[in-house]
Amino acid sequence: MAKSTSVDDRRLVPLAKRLRPSRVVLNVVLGIVAIFWLVPTISLLVISLRPEALFGQSGWWKVFTAPSQLTWGNYAAIFSQGFHTGGVLDSLMTSLEITIPATILVALISSLAAYSLVFGYWRGRDIIFLVIVGLMVVPLQVALIPVVQFYRELGNLFGLNPYGTIPGVIIFHVAFGLPFGIFLMRNFFTGIPKDLLEAGRIEGAGEWKIFYRIVLPLALPAIASLAIFQFIWVWNDLLVALVFLGGNVHAPLTIFLYDQTRSLAANYWIVSTGAVVSIVIPLIVFFSFQRYFIRGVLAGAVK
Amino acid sequence: MSSVNLRELTKRYAGGATLSLDSMNLEIAHGEFICLVGPSGCGKTTALRMIAGLESVTSGEIEIGDRVVNDLPPRDRDIALVFQSYALYPHMTVYGNMSFGLELRKVPKDEIKAAVTDAARILDLEEYLDRKPAQLSGGQRQRVALGRAIVRNPAAFLMDEPLSNLDAKLRVQTRAEIARLHHRLGATMIYVTHDQVEAMTMADRIAVLNMGKLEQVGSPRELYDRPANQFVAGFIGSPSMNFMPLLVENVDGAIRVVSAQHHMDVILSDAEADAIRRAGVSNVVLGVRPEHIDNQPRRDLGLEIRASVEVIEFLGNEVHVHVSSGDDELVVIVDARTPLSIGDTLTLSAPSDGLHFFHPETGVVLR
Repeated sequence: MAKSTSVDDRRLVPLAKRLRPSRVVLNVVLGIVAIFWLVPTISLLVISLRPEALFGQSGWWKVFTAPSQLTWGNYAAIFSQGFHTGGVLDSLMTSLEITIPATILVALISSLAAYSLVFGYWRGRDIIFLVIVGLMVVPLQVALIPVVQFYRELGNLFGLNPYGTIPGVIIFHVAFGLPFGIFLMRNFFTGIPKDLLEAGRIEGAGEWKIFYRIVLPLALPAIASLAIFQFIWVWNDLLVALVFLGGNVHAPLTIFLYDQTRSLAANYWIVSTGAVVSIVIPLIVFFSFQRYFIRGVLAGAVK
Repeated sequence: MSSVNLRELTKRYAGGATLSLDSMNLEIAHGEFICLVGPSGCGKTTALRMIAGLESVTSGEIEIGDRVVNDLPPRDRDIALVFQSYALYPHMTVYGNMSFGLELRKVPKDEIKAAVTDAARILDLEEYLDRKPAQLSGGQRQRVALGRAIVRNPAAFLMDEPLSNLDAKLRVQTRAEIARLHHRLGATMIYVTHDQVEAMTMADRIAVLNMGKLEQVGSPRELYDRPANQFVAGFIGSPSMNFMPLLVENVDGAIRVVSAQHHMDVILSDAEADAIRRAGVSNVVLGVRPEHIDNQPRRDLGLEIRASVEVIEFLGNEVHVHVSSGDDELVVIVDARTPLSIGDTLTLSAPSDGLHFFHPETGVVLR
């Protein structure tokens, strides 16, 4: 009987093996590397938790000898401003308004496109796929000006100019997320046995039912990784937002933070606190999707 | 009524030089268990997939019940297909797998529950309903695949080599289970296999296919006793029928067959002589099954052959002896108690009713 290998297997490593010198050394080295990488993030967190006045007087590491310095003051200050336009909470909402639809749309459209590319019967599927893969090498910078012009043209023709609006940013992100999304989903779908779809077809499922009752549940690991990638890309984007939301009063967090650092006298307390807030959301997304990364989801489908 | 009729059913794959299935005609009665059997690439799976609606029909007609289903999608054909790979949905429980088809057809929940529970009881799956396919053994998965078909109570069950992924012991067990299931449900079953033993043991009738052509249809006994041609004769039965080329002599109107090296001797019955005369051939292929050859001299009509023992395969209840005689190699089944050693010379014989004569070019039996 084939047991699916799950993440739990690491617990099966016996204690004796875990305490072997080679393993201990390995773990120590990995620990050092991890701490090294975490230092900037930890310092940011500490800075955001110290009073603003102390920032100019001493380094953040002083907090280890004087833990009493820690305070929620900065957070209280930043959140007390509420949702007023231009505030950090307003930016947080704007970031979510852009990122969530951009992520869902990419996951959805990519899966549908990949379904057709893998399970559809039409001529030229492979060529279309190659073209899509080819599009992955187009850097998004080259498209900024043409797309702005294209948006303006849409405005002239239909009176709907997406430029300067949140949907305008979302459309741009979706367009540039799709090639990788389709690539990832297509490659995952090719691993799904065709028998499963045929079984569904015989039992009475139409294409749409097959898609969301059979293929989509099996593709959850791929969708989870795609969603995480896409979410973080869009969340961290500054360039596209700057170009397309330049005149909008609602700015995403990246623009908000950028605005705070521009001048010589940066508001470090706002920057550090805002940055921590902007890290928390992707972390929540990552850890909530992480459970779908289970190997062997297809185990037991076909012999 | 859920009979299945195939009329001139033909399949040519795009770009294919030959026909994968060539004008197949087959009438399958309601409640009949029919096996499509043949070597790999003979078109049996293609035929099954066309009945299921998974392959398009190049020409010809498929009729299920009294409807021509050529242009109906699989879901409207009222059939169930058991896949060689089982094709269980890995993300659903056993219950989910079995209820999926009914759910799609919007069957009320309590009816679904009754049908699944019933099928699970028949197939001895009751305690596994909450498990996922990955947590089941091969045999259990196979039964879930059967259960998924049963709950829908279809007009016809199609099975595509459902036993080929099981080990030998389980295969024999499941074979009996499927036969029992067929008896119990009384449903039409179309079963594809390359294993003639499966076909012989389960089928009411067997359709033998070779290179896209239907060679013969008949009950297992008919196919065994009266094969229509050399292909069917060689395919049905294990070990395979022995074939030996013979020359036909016509001496003053009396037909005789002789071997080129005169190491065997055949005394033809009148009927056999007539059949060979009517065919007007100068040589024939003689076929005789290993189990029809006796380790003793000929009594009256039939074959007598002197051969030396080359390989002895002891099977417990019987012994398969590979012998050679001139250029011919034969397999003979003898009683396990017969004392034999390699190099022995035997006088073997086969009665007239155990002999089959085939046309040397077409392979058609001469009767």
